[in-house]
Amino acid sequence: MAEWNAFYQNEDEQQEEEEAEFSGGDYKVSGRDSLVFLVDASKEMFIKGEDGQPSNFDMTMQVVRSVYTSKIISSHRDLIALVFYGTEQSKNPRNSFKHVYVYHDLDEPGAKRVQEVDALRREKGAQLAAQTMGSGETSLGDALWCCANLYSDIKLRLSHKRLMIFTCRDKPHGGDSAKDRQARTKASDLKETGVFIDLMHLIKPGGFDVSLFFRDIVSPPEDESELGLQMKPCNKLEDLQKRVQARETKKRALARLSLSLGDGLNVAVGVYATAVAARKPLAIRLYRETNEPVRSKTRTFHTQTGSLLLPSEIKKAQVYGKKQIVMEKDEVDAIKKFDDPGLFLIGFKPMEKLKLHHHIRPSVFIYPEEDEVKGSACLFSALLKKCSERNVFALCRSIFRRNYPPKFVALVPQMEEVDEGRVQISPPGFNVIYLPYADDFRTLDPPRCPSATQTQVDKMKEIISKLRFKYRSDAFENPVLQQHFRNLEALALDMMAPEDIEDLIMPKVDQIDQRLGSLAEEFKDLVYPAGYNPEIKPAPKRKTADAGGGAEKKPKVELTQDELKAHFQNGTLGKLTVPVLKEACKQFGIKTTGTKKQDLIDALNSTLTS
Amino acid sequence: MAGGKSALVLCMDVGFSMSNSAPGEEPPFALAKKVIQKFVQRQVFAETKDELALVLFGTDSTKNPLDQDGQYQNITVHRHLTVPDFDLLEEIEHQIHPENQQADWLDALVVCMDLLQTETQGKKCDRLNIVFLTDLSTEASSDNLDVIIENVKKAGITLQFFLPFPLEDKEEGDGERTGSGDPGRGKGLSREQRSGLEMVKHIMLSLDEEDGLDEIYTFRNAVEQLCMFKRIERRPMTWPCQLTIGSSLSIRIVGYKAVTEEKLKKMWITVDAQTNKKDDVKRETVYCLDDDNETEVQKEDIIQGFRYGSDIVPFSKVDQDQMKYKHDGKCFAVLGFTKKNLVLRHQFMGTQVVKIFCARDDEHAGVAMSALIRGLDELNMVAIVRYTYDRRSNPQVGAAFPCIKPEYECLLYIQLPFMEDLYGRQHMFPSLENNKKIAPSETQLSVVDSLIDSMMLVADDENEELRDLFKPHHLPNPAFQRHFQCLHHRAVHPDSPLPPMESWLEAALDRPEVIKERCQAPLEEIKKLFPLTEVEKKKKLKTSAQIFGKDSEEPDAKKAKEDEAEEEFNLADIAEGSVTSVGSVNPARDFRALIKQKTLPFGEVCQQLTHRIEQLLSNKNMQYYMKSITCIQAFREQSVKQGNADLFNSYLQSLKRSIPSRALEVFWDLLVQDAVTLISKDEVEGSAVSKNEASQFLLAEERKEQPAPELVEDTGDVDDLLDMM
Repeated sequence: MAEWNAFYQNEDEQQEEEEAEFSGGDYKVSGRDSLVFLVDASKEMFIKGEDGQPSNFDMTMQVVRSVYTSKIISSHRDLIALVFYGTEQSKNPRNSFKHVYVYHDLDEPGAKRVQEVDALRREKGAQLAAQTMGSGETSLGDALWCCANLYSDIKLRLSHKRLMIFTCRDKPHGGDSAKDRQARTKASDLKETGVFIDLMHLIKPGGFDVSLFFRDIVSPPEDESELGLQMKPCNKLEDLQKRVQARETKKRALARLSLSLGDGLNVAVGVYATAVAARKPLAIRLYRETNEPVRSKTRTFHTQTGSLLLPSEIKKAQVYGKKQIVMEKDEVDAIKKFDDPGLFLIGFKPMEKLKLHHHIRPSVFIYPEEDEVKGSACLFSALLKKCSERNVFALCRSIFRRNYPPKFVALVPQMEEVDEGRVQISPPGFNVIYLPYADDFRTLDPPRCPSATQTQVDKMKEIISKLRFKYRSDAFENPVLQQHFRNLEALALDMMAPEDIEDLIMPKVDQIDQRLGSLAEEFKDLVYPAGYNPEIKPAPKRKTADAGGGAEKKPKVELTQDELKAHFQNGTLGKLTVPVLKEACKQFGIKTTGTKKQDLIDALNSTLTS
Repeated sequence: MAGGKSALVLCMDVGFSMSNSAPGEEPPFALAKKVIQKFVQRQVFAETKDELALVLFGTDSTKNPLDQDGQYQNITVHRHLTVPDFDLLEEIEHQIHPENQQADWLDALVVCMDLLQTETQGKKCDRLNIVFLTDLSTEASSDNLDVIIENVKKAGITLQFFLPFPLEDKEEGDGERTGSGDPGRGKGLSREQRSGLEMVKHIMLSLDEEDGLDEIYTFRNAVEQLCMFKRIERRPMTWPCQLTIGSSLSIRIVGYKAVTEEKLKKMWITVDAQTNKKDDVKRETVYCLDDDNETEVQKEDIIQGFRYGSDIVPFSKVDQDQMKYKHDGKCFAVLGFTKKNLVLRHQFMGTQVVKIFCARDDEHAGVAMSALIRGLDELNMVAIVRYTYDRRSNPQVGAAFPCIKPEYECLLYIQLPFMEDLYGRQHMFPSLENNKKIAPSETQLSVVDSLIDSMMLVADDENEELRDLFKPHHLPNPAFQRHFQCLHHRAVHPDSPLPPMESWLEAALDRPEVIKERCQAPLEEIKKLFPLTEVEKKKKLKTSAQIFGKDSEEPDAKKAKEDEAEEEFNLADIAEGSVTSVGSVNPARDFRALIKQKTLPFGEVCQQLTHRIEQLLSNKNMQYYMKSITCIQAFREQSVKQGNADLFNSYLQSLKRSIPSRALEVFWDLLVQDAVTLISKDEVEGSAVSKNEASQFLLAEERKEQPAPELVEDTGDVDDLLDMM
């Protein structure tokens, strides 16, 4: 058991390393992302949908809220603004624009803002909006101008600037051509400064005609084929959420590499992470008196002289077979270097050679970088098409960062897929699956068990069929993270208690039981003998050991000094358990900082050698 | 069971015949020594608990416990049973030489058996093994052969023989197993060797009738096999739990971590370069406030907090523990079942695969598991489960795939993503197929087709068997191999530089030779048909440095700070020395630099500046206002320095006059807030403005209601203002 636990700790380290492998990426170069929600607040937006469907405004606020909270979790440094147009009241920095209401100016989202967006949701939200902002005249030109000012007031460097217009009116100015013209001018001004304008058009009775006005407002799509892709208005919250989510973050390559086919044939590709384990952010150290963050500085100095040590004055060492082996710091790096970063094609294999259990870390995705090497997209596309047609994957040796040892990866072709609404579900490119080395497999001794009869299998199949559902990868929230952020939210807003979370990965036992009905009992009658209870462990002696284990084990931790020395001489300290080693360290008066087994052994070794 | 270890005796012949070899061949002694070295090396780096002894025979001297009455002569116990270390490796390297005697190898075997028996007493050894390396050139007395075999059997000792020549000389045509050419065989075997070989066969077959002969190896094969460092082995730990479906159906299971990325166990420690001692180096972390003095803060005065967007929320560990998500601990609970194709391979998360079996020795659980596994398999479905390792770890959602092998049935558990893990990463990419500009032509596609043909790593053999030319999962991790190679080299040759990569490793990481040849032609074709041109990038160096930058240890916040400061720095560089006029990007800085340079007259520089100010003010925008104010401040500061108040004062006065007509009230308010007023006599001798007037200058404007002063004869035309300068 102890070892499993140790694995768990390792896992964290591994993940850190993994992230280190891809840390940096493009983010550093580019500054911060910014996003302005420009929401129509006209009366039309507040009309409730059929069958109690939420109004367009309500739906928009839900999406805005979810973007706020997601940003807080995933990229809190991005800036978001929320601006309403077509309001009765005006509120903007210099109050120079009528009927434009800047609810939130461009800033990092925080707890208070989430609460304020929340206040605009549902029936009550509509009332609040009517009270504070009201609905009035519309001048999209003024609204866009106001947004331009929001951008220019920001002193930070912005990398990606996006503006999303949420509306259900395809003729916002009702045919006022002067206003239309002004809006077009302002939109092109904005686009010129690098702002990408998106339209999130919502359902409108009689259909939303983009060509009437908005086609000239929005930014042209990134590539030609995308034209017409987004022409259907959103009528469902889910769709809107998906559409917003897909556009609100800029895709960033973790790295740009060359995919070498050999012989100087190099295709440039960008590497993208499609799923990265979101984890609780690290705690920040604060000064007790003022709650201001503190910085940490780490210094390396000489124990005797107390002088600071330069990197040239230290070396690295490892101990094996009782011998300390010393290397220069750059030699340690040099050992890890096999080649320059890149992907090198070894050959192709049929897909069935890719085993399900060859999994050691989440995959990444590659897509050609025409900006780096012209012609990449064409060759990449040909490879993709052919691999997919022939149902083969490309086996590559890969080095993702400088001084990283090589790993083998499978490039699995993925053709583009779009849904009925012509929204891309899966992009074209290769998924990069990391393959394990021989060292990564553990030798198991599987227990031998009897097989089930077809009757038993069939009964289980009935159970399986009863509990069928359609798995969606984005259906489960991480309860640990959600709870953490709810706690923070409660503290930040001085709430009495954090909001309850719904644990989506808890089995819905009642529903399951109900659906199964008598099937569970029938299955048990088929496979279990009468009186068999799987809940009870068959080895009661083990149970007592578990219960009293802590108390019983303790007396054993002491070891005489002679015994210890014998272990040391034979190099068998590693055989001892951590508590024994800790006790031994105490006996020898060694202060240990580490709690890992190796730390304790190292400490003992160095004391006993000297 | 766990805890056992093995004890092994390496028994090497160093007698004179071992140095004999055919011309151009390595003598058996050298090969045998290599085998031993490689083997001990592996043991040392694998850090096994296994113990090892070294017995030499054919030595000039005699040193063994059985040495009595002229018996067991020329046999030396070089090292008693201990865990192997570098001392042993160095001894092998430097102290083991060919010697001039011969000894009976059966005597040596007896010495080894005796050693194993006496030295393993009181130790928990579950495997006893003797490895023999000899050329069998001495005649051994077969008198006690059967007694010896009986004793080997009784003690449960296993034997391995390493010989310079292969076992079967008749099967030479058979090739593969013995390796053709058979070096070491020389001119054929001597009479002694023949009879020795018969004896070896006899011994091995009496120990194990079926596979006994498999434990006889040649030196050369052994060296090849041992050149890899031993793969890291970890004993899998069991994870007993219950698989539950609803509240009433549960199956006792046991999980094992089956595949996970193995890491080196040891970390590098930091030592002092001079003394090579770890204790001479100390690392210390101090905390300080982010102020100018970097005020140090005691560790006790530090509390922890978390970021919630823009807010930093103090949140103590105690509170955090109390409020955190809690669960019931260990579980493997089915949430439901779904079609296998809905669980996408590229969405696998985590770093491991766990194999789930039925509990050991519980056949009822076995039947239940089997029903589930087969049921899933037949329906082509998987279970979606909640998996929690234990109370302290976080729950996961994952998929359990059925896996049916001839030897066993199990579920493969793999973690799946949470919504948060995918957030903001599901991007759309421009279509490749629908883009006419990049769509490959039919000819281009057919070349790629032939490339794939030429590079297929899996091919049908003549025997209709699939042959895989390249299996990464059979390769040892090259990073570990290289790591140990370098460590070993440094340990044995402390002063020489690190060795190049071993050639076998390099070859193992490369394309197989067959493929290399076969793909030549298609690659040439592709080169012709797919033009690839690298796009020149100005900032190429910078971006690549950032992508692969080595400063990844730096905290994120610091990095971000640098970015934001970056632009400033670059401009500072530009401003340095090379300023020739007041530019629009940072006019105040340019202005100061030009005045410092004194290449242009003061008046002209001021005119350039005011020109910029007017340009800035024509954009009615806060950012430009701020910039204008810094310009005006710089103007004032430099004017005071130069002792020339007139230009500034007259500009400011005319600016003030033009405020109402140009609707610059907001800007003027800012100027008032910053108290930028006329330069008075007290500051500059020649100024025509008194201190009182200067302070009145701003005050007057605050009384906004008053009609604009009559002074306004012009309407604040920009050109006029500039003409005044």
